[in-house]
Amino acid sequence: MVKFLKLYEKIGIFILIVAASVFLAIVSPNFRNLDTILSIIMQGSYGAIIAFGMTFAITSGGFDLSVEAIMGFTSVIIAMLIPSLGFAGSIIIAILASCFVGFLNGVLITKVGISPLITTLSMQVILRGASLIITNGRQVVISQKSFMSIGASKVFNLIPTPIIYMVVLFAIFYLILNQTSFGRHVAASGSNEQAAKMSGLNVNLIKTVVYILVAFSASIVGVIRTSQTLIGIPTMAPGFTLNVLTIAILGGTSLAGGKGNLTGTLFAGIFISMIYYGLNLLNVQIFYQMLAVGITLLFALFIDGLRMKYLETAKVKGIRV
Amino acid sequence: MDDIKVGLTPKQRAGNLLGSFGLIAILLIIFGFFSLLIPKLYFTWPNLRDMIRFSSYVGIGAIGMTFCIMTRNFDISVGSMLALAGVLGASVALKAGGIFGVIITMAAATLLGVINGLFVTKLKIPAFITTLGMYFIFRALAYIYTNNNPQYIQDRFWIFLGNGSFLRIPLPIYIMALCYVIAYLMLRKASFGRYILAIGTNSRAAALSGINVDNIKILVFTLVGVFVGVSAVLNGSMLGAANPGMMGDGYEFQVITAVVLGGTALAGGSGSLGGTLIAAMVIVFLKTGMSNAQVNSYWQQVATGLVLIVAVSLNKLKFWLIGQTQ
Repeated sequence: MVKFLKLYEKIGIFILIVAASVFLAIVSPNFRNLDTILSIIMQGSYGAIIAFGMTFAITSGGFDLSVEAIMGFTSVIIAMLIPSLGFAGSIIIAILASCFVGFLNGVLITKVGISPLITTLSMQVILRGASLIITNGRQVVISQKSFMSIGASKVFNLIPTPIIYMVVLFAIFYLILNQTSFGRHVAASGSNEQAAKMSGLNVNLIKTVVYILVAFSASIVGVIRTSQTLIGIPTMAPGFTLNVLTIAILGGTSLAGGKGNLTGTLFAGIFISMIYYGLNLLNVQIFYQMLAVGITLLFALFIDGLRMKYLETAKVKGIRV
Repeated sequence: MDDIKVGLTPKQRAGNLLGSFGLIAILLIIFGFFSLLIPKLYFTWPNLRDMIRFSSYVGIGAIGMTFCIMTRNFDISVGSMLALAGVLGASVALKAGGIFGVIITMAAATLLGVINGLFVTKLKIPAFITTLGMYFIFRALAYIYTNNNPQYIQDRFWIFLGNGSFLRIPLPIYIMALCYVIAYLMLRKASFGRYILAIGTNSRAAALSGINVDNIKILVFTLVGVFVGVSAVLNGSMLGAANPGMMGDGYEFQVITAVVLGGTALAGGSGSLGGTLIAAMVIVFLKTGMSNAQVNSYWQQVATGLVLIVAVSLNKLKFWLIGQTQ
């Protein structure tokens, strides 16, 4: 049983995906078509990309609730700057500005010592307000049609670009978390901050970099979404933060910190997208998606709780875990 | 920390002073500032009365949250809970009358609080994530139940609760005062209060010393529901409708702001109801002032966020001055 649970921790989400695929393939003929599958993966890529960053934040023992505001902030900056700077310049500035927001989050959390919850919740409200102020509450239409190629085109006329971004970012984040000393330091700060400090790690710096990474990933998705719609939207993706958290937790990253599972995050992003696709087949209204995400989150935590309980009892009984 | 002893350093004195009077000073400064800026709109008895009346919306909901944060937990679902309880009650009121509507609103919110408590304690899911899930589930249920149609409240009794007066003082002020007195007695005069402080300080130690931690936590989440229910009744009454999308939108943020601004430590184990009450008034006084002075609503949003960060930093400063680590 312990072995099974260990295995489940690694590939549990993969089992869910296979089950969901079989189910969808049976009920929906459309699903047996490569374009549909790619579009589902693309829909999942937005949440997954930000969840890569969120996985880092949770691994370091915190989280970031400001990601949806960062998306809107990025979107607004691009829309305002694109007429004068062109799209390359505006994208770079938007991403840098978002990274600066992440830096502020990190400083407030580590130097001032405000909890991640209060810091990032306030940042969310402040940044939303700031984005609305910048555009005066309006949505800004982008006239440069060529900007669309970034998020709305297909490589080899087949694979949508967001999937490419997701795969590239996954590779980078995976290498950082699992192959570099920085990744190990992030995990160390998350599992026992005091011990990490004692052993000479600069925990404050590590955590600050983590919040910059989260903001970076959110900003990338902001760029993609803005390019697809060609509109700068200050209130972009309301409520998306919970989706991102759900994906990270569903993927098996422990909220207690210290253990991040990016592969799980990747698949969880796709799984959530499959749920949405399934609900669309049923032709239900949008609020049922909210309900589904909430229930999936609680279900994942319920399973996780059972697993932890079992492992603890096993430990007490003396079974090696 | 309440008893000031002889022999404190000036720094510690400053810290204690900041803790006791900082918030009242902020309230007076805000009131004074806007009174001077826009005296005709702001410095009037009807305005002051209305501001205190509106404080009940955040103030009452924040009572349960104060308990919750004292035990080192969170409830992010309060805004959605308010909406779901509100639309349920309002739809019942249309068919069966206002008294039943009010009862259903209260009962629904209480039940939702119990559900949160059971999830947190029995399934051992961290409160933050449980209630984040519930935040979406409750709101979705409110949408689904009403099919996104606002439920109008026209019943005279229900409207009277939020808008009526007794001895020229609005009813919500009496209700808020009553809630605070009850909560104060629970916190300071009953064993329940000592238990929640013990759990917040060290939940393991509390369990070892024989406190039934799970039951107390369930009770705390239930109380969050009860007070949100009272808020939902008053909010629905003042607005004359329960709107599944707009009712309680952003409420969790306002309530947590009030509690944290009021000096309750996020680390659990300490806090004050008086602080929460004054903080709720600070939020309303500031918001009304900015609205009356015609500050753009987006700037208001930015200001609320900044106030929270500054307030929490001040709290850190207080602990640093006293020479304690939180």
